[in-house]
Amino acid sequence: MNMIGWPMTAAARPNPSAGEPTARIDQLRRQLGALEAATGLAGDCGALFALGTPVIDAALGGGLGGGTLHEIAAAREAEVLAASGFALALAARRISLRGAPAPIGNSCNARNDGRPVSVPSGRNVLWTAEDLLLAENGALYGPGLDEIGIAPERLITVAAPCARDVLWTMEEALRCRAVGMVIGEMRPRGIDQVATRRLALAAAAGNALGIILYTAPDDAPSAAVTRWTIGAASFLDAEQSHDVGSPRFLARLVRNRRGPLGTWIVEWNSVEQRFELATHSEPVAGAAFDRPHHTAVA
Amino acid sequence: MLAIDAAAEQLGLTAGLALAQARAMHPTLTAVPEDQTADARLLDAIAETCQRYTPLVAIDPPDGILLDIGGCAHLFGGEEKLRADLLARMTRLGFSARAAIAVTIGAASAAARFGDTTIQADSTRDPRGRLAPLPLAALRLPDETVAALARVGLKRIGDILDLPRSPLAVRFGADLLRQLDRALGREDEPLTPRLPVAPYVAEKSFHEPIAREEDVLASVERLAARLKTALAARGDGARRLELALFRTDGAVKRIAAGTSRPVRDPQMIRALFVERLAALGDEIDPGFGFDLARLSVLNAEPCRDEQIGLGTREDQIELDRLIDRLSARLGRQRVSRLLARDSHIPELAAAVMPAQAMTRGEFGWDAFRRFRAEAGLSSRPLRLLAKPEPIADVFALVPDGPPARFRWRRALHEVVRAEGPERIEGAWWSEKGGPARDYFRVEDKAGLRFWLFRAGLYRDVAPSPPRWFVHGLYA
Repeated sequence: MNMIGWPMTAAARPNPSAGEPTARIDQLRRQLGALEAATGLAGDCGALFALGTPVIDAALGGGLGGGTLHEIAAAREAEVLAASGFALALAARRISLRGAPAPIGNSCNARNDGRPVSVPSGRNVLWTAEDLLLAENGALYGPGLDEIGIAPERLITVAAPCARDVLWTMEEALRCRAVGMVIGEMRPRGIDQVATRRLALAAAAGNALGIILYTAPDDAPSAAVTRWTIGAASFLDAEQSHDVGSPRFLARLVRNRRGPLGTWIVEWNSVEQRFELATHSEPVAGAAFDRPHHTAVA
Repeated sequence: MLAIDAAAEQLGLTAGLALAQARAMHPTLTAVPEDQTADARLLDAIAETCQRYTPLVAIDPPDGILLDIGGCAHLFGGEEKLRADLLARMTRLGFSARAAIAVTIGAASAAARFGDTTIQADSTRDPRGRLAPLPLAALRLPDETVAALARVGLKRIGDILDLPRSPLAVRFGADLLRQLDRALGREDEPLTPRLPVAPYVAEKSFHEPIAREEDVLASVERLAARLKTALAARGDGARRLELALFRTDGAVKRIAAGTSRPVRDPQMIRALFVERLAALGDEIDPGFGFDLARLSVLNAEPCRDEQIGLGTREDQIELDRLIDRLSARLGRQRVSRLLARDSHIPELAAAVMPAQAMTRGEFGWDAFRRFRAEAGLSSRPLRLLAKPEPIADVFALVPDGPPARFRWRRALHEVVRAEGPERIEGAWWSEKGGPARDYFRVEDKAGLRFWLFRAGLYRDVAPSPPRWFVHGLYA
């Protein structure tokens, strides 16, 4: 439960003096990237979105891709608040990084339609959830959002009657260029690969970050680039402090198309708007970090 | 018997006869009990059908419908053609109806109920000649007044037309003169339309009824293009639109759509209705097709010609478009913005408003941030439950302190860390304000974080055990 891993592979840490295998892997990655770009699933358009924690960003190959789809699942139903906190912290970071209007004629839009129009800065975040989940886990609370760094005026919330409407809303919002990030809270069932693929395409088209927020872990195949399981993290050394402190997550990267996996305990620093490895936690053992079929991360 | 049909009339029956008497004469008679609400509903449905002729339709209970056709008769080829069309439609729907056209509401109502409706109508002619032979009851007078007039030998409207006015008023009441004046057009009588009249309307009728969704949307776009000219001429844009589809069998389907900024663009208006139609799905039952489509702007607002291509402005337009699409499909109440409210009570401090209703602005969060910085507000949860949920098995080490463990939704939580209390007074000025609350932020063994409160101060609620609630959840 509380194992903390340090994913360290040659690929995750680019090394100029690396030998033949690294070059080969890089070449394969480039080929794969080209193939994915052709399908529209890669979403490499737009800069990478770094989490601000070097070790995690390294595992992600620099950060989450700009116009890509990701899945964040709560470790169990009771920990859905941790998962939504993690997703909202990402949103806070996304808004603050996009604070300045994007430069005119950025390469992404030039490729999309060739028109030299100004680029919507995508500083808005849309959150959508089923009615039932809003009743169960509570609706987003403005003062609390503001506290973790999301300006509530940048947020649009959509209460959807059913999961299908959540997916539809997400797709519409991802395609809208004024929205930089879309979070859809759902139960993990009945969402097939076609639906996630549609979302991935919409994310690529709108250059927005799409997050499917599952209330429990799910292992169905999906078009998402990464899949995270987020749980609440408690301090091991209970005597050290009596403050509740800032949001703390046990983050497991359980699927990653671009690189290794890992488990980290991170804290959200709402002032600097970045994730930090929990300082007083010590690495206990290395978690599996190779491709998914080698791992036994539960 | 209140009303009879044509077949019964041929048998020599009249309304007003006792049912038993009628049954004695004709044992096979079918009688249906009176249902006033159903009658009113039917009359309203017929009025809805008449809405195709003019936006000014009023119900004249119990059995009449008034149409103000001033200015729109020419669309149907003249007043007489309009009347013929209306009567033909009513016959087709299975009603027997009488219709008359006159310059005043009073005269039209009198002529339709009592007059010879085959007379060529002419709304410009003075109604005196036409009213004179009609019975006084045609003036919509109370029965007692009519009876009193009959006792002195006044039976027709012509009988009182030339009588001196003041004795009439003294003897039979001012009401008689007012109704007479209204019928003659000496006094204005306003018609109260059953539906508000839209400032902008465009409509199209189809010789061949349309039923397919694409056809409906195509006509929406054409109508919107016509509205655009009218809107642009006055510098307006539409905030709320309504599409009325008139079915050949008389039913009318009304579909409303809202926007978050004034719009004129036909493409955008069409896009709104694409979502509305998708959301309604099978509810739009075209039956044998729609033969008239009307697009009305219910709310218009000044719309400045926009300069496209200036960063954040573009952003705002894109966002509004998204909000409109989502609101059209899911419903206005489901797409929301968060607002800060000036209240110290947690559930009142933040409000959720339909995004379409919000004009641009700060939504009050700047003021909230200033307040928090000044007052040093303590931490607030990320998600707030719709209603505080009671927790059980609360065990607190110190009476006034945070709970050491509690049970919520059947799970037992052992508190390892707590912050608080933050005392929030109830709204003492309001009867429903409730007692003061002591809020605690606690973390359990597993790292789950809750926002709990105890209702009432400990010294007030003792000796009965205080009640505890979960109000919010932290990440």
